Amino acid sequence: MTTQQIQVPVRRLFEAPHRRQSFRRNLIGWLFLAPAILLIGVFTITPFGQAILLSFQSWDGVSPDTPWVGLANYEFVFGDAIFWASMRNVLVFAVAGFFLGNGIALAMAIAVNNITRGRTFFRTVFYLPGVLSVVVVGVLFSFILAPRSGVLNRLLDMVGLDALQQNWLGDPAIALPTVAAVFIWFHWGFGFLLFLAGLQDIPKELYEAANLDGANAWNKFRYVTWPQLAPVTSIVSLLTLLAALQIFGTVQVLTNGGPGYHTMVPTLAIYNEAFVNYRYGSAAAMSVLFGGTLVVLSALQLAISARRSRA
Amino acid sequence: MEGSTDMATAELSTTARHSHSEPTKRRRRLRPDQIGLYGLLTVAALTALFPLLWMLSGSLQSLTELLSNETFIPSAPQWENYVTAWVQGELGMYLANSLLYTGVAVLGILVVSSLAGYALARLDFAGKSMFTFVILAVMIIPAPAMFLAQYRLLISLGLSNSRVGYILILITAGIPMATLIMRSFFASQPKDLEEAAALDGASPLRIFASVILPLARPGLAAVAVIQGLAAWNEYLMALVIFDDNALMPIQRGLTSFTSAETPQQQVLLAATAISIVPVIIFYLLAQRHIVNGIGAGAIK
Repeated sequence: MTTQQIQVPVRRLFEAPHRRQSFRRNLIGWLFLAPAILLIGVFTITPFGQAILLSFQSWDGVSPDTPWVGLANYEFVFGDAIFWASMRNVLVFAVAGFFLGNGIALAMAIAVNNITRGRTFFRTVFYLPGVLSVVVVGVLFSFILAPRSGVLNRLLDMVGLDALQQNWLGDPAIALPTVAAVFIWFHWGFGFLLFLAGLQDIPKELYEAANLDGANAWNKFRYVTWPQLAPVTSIVSLLTLLAALQIFGTVQVLTNGGPGYHTMVPTLAIYNEAFVNYRYGSAAAMSVLFGGTLVVLSALQLAISARRSRA
Repeated sequence: MEGSTDMATAELSTTARHSHSEPTKRRRRLRPDQIGLYGLLTVAALTALFPLLWMLSGSLQSLTELLSNETFIPSAPQWENYVTAWVQGELGMYLANSLLYTGVAVLGILVVSSLAGYALARLDFAGKSMFTFVILAVMIIPAPAMFLAQYRLLISLGLSNSRVGYILILITAGIPMATLIMRSFFASQPKDLEEAAALDGASPLRIFASVILPLARPGLAAVAVIQGLAAWNEYLMALVIFDDNALMPIQRGLTSFTSAETPQQQVLLAATAISIVPVIIFYLLAQRHIVNGIGAGAIK
């Protein structure tokens, strides 16, 4: 809407009396876009198409020959226990990040929004983990969570909770929740920043009106904060889901998918299939299946939010 | 509009201050619910900071002290851990690589996305809405769906294991979101100056370079900060593309150092600490732009 209103006068300026000028106008527009089109075309759209083609071929990563194998890669992937384990595991990350991570993010944003001093300090600290790389996070937590020398078990011992000591990354039953907790530690600051910005955009008058009506804290949250935050909540939810589903580096550095395949995630499974097992064709089939799921998820979200903004 | 709300809040806060100013002591004391909030926030802050503080503490201990886990305060700070990490880990080389990749990638993203964002916000031409749709579509294609094929493409272009190939991938990855941020930035700017320049007969490219860009600094800063962090922390493509240690960015350097046999835990902690110094400094200096950029990229 707004862009159109702005465009009209500028268009009139560039509009020349002759018909030929509309060609010139189109040319100028596309020249401005040319670098972006070139890069996206070569390095995003072409590989995306090639990934689909490659999923019907066999390639060892070295030889120039890539024979067609029909649906063989897909048949292999459908029977691949590791891949499906990775899909189940990543759902755990998605659910944990979605409910726990976003819950913490929202609670902390509301808390920071309600204090008078130290807002900047807490905001700075809370987003700090988010600027670290997955490698740094992986290295730090692999030391902290180590069974014997790790500081977490040591701390539990010191406060008399030694019954809670675990082989955090080595025990099949505990490794997955542990890695999910590390993901949440790393990622909740992002949702927090967006929620905080959203809270600060809610008109104060709404709360004043609620106060006049004698609303308690819960009702203010339920009838003012929550509905007003809805657009932010939906974008944070989508971005958290996508980040959780694409988790790779943290897992690779922390556990490399182990013990067994208890923390295997799809991106790591694809990576190993290609660069460890040298089966690029079935790796491509995995990325088509998994990437396709993510694309459908995002497209769905885009469609829903488009409909909501139209309504 | 903004001015008037500012005035209103200013007025509100002065009246609030007046009504509270009489019992001065009470204003200082925290209400019970505030104490609860601060307690909660402090716990969260400690949780966020603990791994980093522990890293600093461990990086200054000797190995025996570190493994005994007796103390958080190093009895005698072992500064030589940092020297060992720097020399053995070749961190200077990796950091220089990362600075190069991040700098060039951000520059490239700024040029490409400001041109495209300006065209989408201000110019009128056939096929504009189609391109906007393509940008959105490309944004939702996730890395797991592409990294294999991107690697294969770079091989066929002779760009695998090369700086140029990696930088091109970084730039391409940043373009969609950066273009959308720049588009919404340009759309929110007044257009008087452009119109005046157009009436003077300046060409669109001339207007863009001499009128638009100098005024676009806030938008460019937001893009630069967000994309700078993303490029600095990129790991998957760096892992796939580079075989040659001399070309690897710091994230790769850190992992190859970690998986090597020689270094000890306290040295690795020192290396990790060194590796995050640039990004922490950058974060503390550019915080405002991070908040703006994340907000602009995600919400608008």
